Amino acid sequence: MFSVISYGRLVARAVIGGLSQTDSRDYSLVTASFGFGKDFRKGILKKGMCYGDDACFIARHKSADVLGVADGVGGWRDYGVDPSQFSGTLMRTCERLVKEGRFIPSNPVGILTTSYYELLQNKAPLLGSSTACIVVLDRQSHRLHTANLGDSGFLVVRGGEVVHRSDEQQHYFNTPFQLSIAPPEAAGAVLSDSPDAADSSSFDVQIGDIILTATDGLFDNMPDYMILQELKKLKNTNYESIQQTAKSIAEQAHVLAYDPNYMSPFAQFACDNGLNVRGGKPDDITVLLSIVAEYTD
Amino acid sequence: MFPMLTLLSMFYYICLRRRCRSGSRSEALGSRRAVELAQRSSGPVGGIGGSGSGGELEQYAKEVLDFSSHYGSENSMSYTMWNLAGAPNVYPSSGDFTQTAVFRTYGHWWEQCPSARAPYRRTPRSFHSTDFLELAFEEPVYPTAVEVLETYHPGAVVQILACSLNPFTQNPPTDVRWEVLWSGEPSKAPTPHSRQFSPTIRHLSFPTNLLRVEVNSGLLEYYTELDAIILRGVRERPMLALYKMPLIDMNDLSDGEDDAVAIGNQRFPPAGDDKHNNTGNGYFDKLPYELIQLIVSHLTLPDLCRLAQSCKLLQQHCCDPLQYQQLSLQPYWAALTDASLAHLQPRCALLQRLNASWTGNRGAVTSNGFCSFLKVCGAGLVSLELSCCHFLCEASMEVIAQTCPGLQELNLASCDRLQPQAFSHVSKLTSLRRLVLYRTKVEQTALLSILTFCTELQHLNLGSCVRIQDYDVVASMLAVRCRRLRSLDLWRCGSLTERGLGELALGCGRLEELDLGWCSTLQSSSGCFQHLARCLPRLRKLFLTANRSVCDQDLDQMAACCPKLQHVDILGTRMVSPSSLKKLLQSCPELKLVDVSFCSQIDTRVVQELTSLFPNVAIKKSFTQ
Repeated sequence: MFSVISYGRLVARAVIGGLSQTDSRDYSLVTASFGFGKDFRKGILKKGMCYGDDACFIARHKSADVLGVADGVGGWRDYGVDPSQFSGTLMRTCERLVKEGRFIPSNPVGILTTSYYELLQNKAPLLGSSTACIVVLDRQSHRLHTANLGDSGFLVVRGGEVVHRSDEQQHYFNTPFQLSIAPPEAAGAVLSDSPDAADSSSFDVQIGDIILTATDGLFDNMPDYMILQELKKLKNTNYESIQQTAKSIAEQAHVLAYDPNYMSPFAQFACDNGLNVRGGKPDDITVLLSIVAEYTD
Repeated sequence: MFPMLTLLSMFYYICLRRRCRSGSRSEALGSRRAVELAQRSSGPVGGIGGSGSGGELEQYAKEVLDFSSHYGSENSMSYTMWNLAGAPNVYPSSGDFTQTAVFRTYGHWWEQCPSARAPYRRTPRSFHSTDFLELAFEEPVYPTAVEVLETYHPGAVVQILACSLNPFTQNPPTDVRWEVLWSGEPSKAPTPHSRQFSPTIRHLSFPTNLLRVEVNSGLLEYYTELDAIILRGVRERPMLALYKMPLIDMNDLSDGEDDAVAIGNQRFPPAGDDKHNNTGNGYFDKLPYELIQLIVSHLTLPDLCRLAQSCKLLQQHCCDPLQYQQLSLQPYWAALTDASLAHLQPRCALLQRLNASWTGNRGAVTSNGFCSFLKVCGAGLVSLELSCCHFLCEASMEVIAQTCPGLQELNLASCDRLQPQAFSHVSKLTSLRRLVLYRTKVEQTALLSILTFCTELQHLNLGSCVRIQDYDVVASMLAVRCRRLRSLDLWRCGSLTERGLGELALGCGRLEELDLGWCSTLQSSSGCFQHLARCLPRLRKLFLTANRSVCDQDLDQMAACCPKLQHVDILGTRMVSPSSLKKLLQSCPELKLVDVSFCSQIDTRVVQELTSLFPNVAIKKSFTQ
């Protein structure tokens, strides 16, 4: 008698477990952004989604949610070029591409390539360079497709642990891979990587997964355990709490960046490479925090 | 009561009279004209404004179906026609933005170039269109308003038409009608800033979700840019308001442009009564034959066809093949059918120049109909314009090649549905002097074959021919085979390098016009532009649009070696200084157009200063805000 009941329970659990594997709901990303420009004295009122020389975008189309961050290379300032123009235009163009559906969700590198090509089609001569990181969630297949060029990146956190992360692409210390448009006279001397050089990856995601996409201003100042600590405080999946958490992460990174005695990941890496430094790394910080949730219109 | 009855009876009497008149003229039209006139005379419709029976629907364009040209690259979303779909991106801001739709040309500059084609006689004065675009909307409505959001240099829209066909249906009907909603003259707005253009449109008797906008930017100072087009309409057919005083337009009582549709349905008039004519025509028939021919040669084509119906003498004159040496069917693209061509056939034995651009819209003219027309009339054909003729196929190109061996001019611009294999037949036209392949799918082997055999080529347009992989090879072939080349358009030809350009400059020394816009693979540091200037002293037009490497030395060389320059475009370079620009303006007294948009060293102050020093030169500087 008891064995029948327990056997029946086992079968029932197996069946229900099997059924719940095939989740036919559409997923979506609930995303909030926050950031700080390095030079807050600038005070130039930029169009939203630009923090200093960083830029980001959040867009959606019929079949996918797409986010992206771009970190403008500050060195251009010395040559009279505004570095935020390139990263900002790159992100605006990616956003437009997504909104018009000119992309394939499983090919985020294609978004970068097309967007870079579109930058060259602008009558105004654009100059500058930036890194780029694009994250695409395919709503139906529940797969996250990513492309990363340079030292921006993303983390995927599930159950309080990092399950996926992007790799930094650097040529040498503090010189990440970058998309760039150089003036013709300096074309040979300027580092310019092709969009095809971006790292891409795809993996499944589950409801409740947290995806943190950010520029190196965050990752160079806050080690993983601190980020995970902050993420633990995220209770709900509504926009306000995500916004609040993104803000607190960015604020904490911003404070740490200006702490001269703190051993930041950047300082640690520098020391490993023979440079004896300490302290945070003042930089533009952009944080896009997303949670995978069920798709609601 | 009685005034009401008299009004009503007046109304019905006039309507019935019109029905009688229209019935005797063209049965094929059915009672459409009568219905339309009845509707028109009922006056403006009441009850629109959100609370009507169907409510007013406002729609942005869903899809851009067809267009004659655009500034941007194929597969790009910068300055291309596809930006017209959806909500506006730029409006109400003004300026030169990538998210707008821009046509390839503006003003009269291209008409002044050596590559321009001679105008056709008998072009009706009301036909101004030089470019068009077709948009599909989601839902068919009876239009109440069409709003065009123009964001830069407005004033180009000259005609708005609506089609009875729903482009999204699976089973298209056989009778497709295009009605003119509004037409006007090309104009120029007082400022280049954005505006919403919403002309008063006619009432339509059928619902539509397919609009066509025709433009002419001839009066404009710079490229016009369109952001979006909004179609407002109602789902339910507007009710006739009988209690309103019928507004009878005097023009309605005379034959309007609707009679252009009747071209295809001409019937030969019954035999005239000579005795009757003799007393009344004021000795008109005593005039010499050539004089009547001269008089009749000033009539537009529909008038010519109508005049042919009046009496035997005029029928003889109007059907004389000498009147049909030049035939421009482009203004009548909406009405032209295979039957029309068949009717014109007997008159066109001496046809030399034929402009059938834009015809064949939605199957009205088929490849077979056109080919049979050509087989009868094409033997003496010298010039053939077939821009945007989507009925063309490989078979038609073969027929053209066979029946028109003496063809000197062939225009296949924007025939983007024509298969690449079709172009192999063009190489049989060895007398070709002018060939336009703008935005076609011609491939490298076919093009090289054309260049090998068509050695008389003087004007060649390969703009936006994206299927050609290596333009250096094309340039080398041109240098060897087409040494008489006077104009060459290599707009957006991506793979051309200094090697090919160098060979071209050495081989085609007679070049007067060269468009190298957006050829980003050319680098000034290789000296290719200086070499070009030294080799081509006859150069009148040189476009180096968006070549970021153009520098002072290039301009200096142009100033020194090309005194005949008239049109120059150096958009988007950072390396040209005001002094070398001034030197160019001083050395080239015939300069008329210089485009220095987005040249960072040439700001508006410099432009103003130079304009005052050189008042004959139009110095263009575009802005984004």
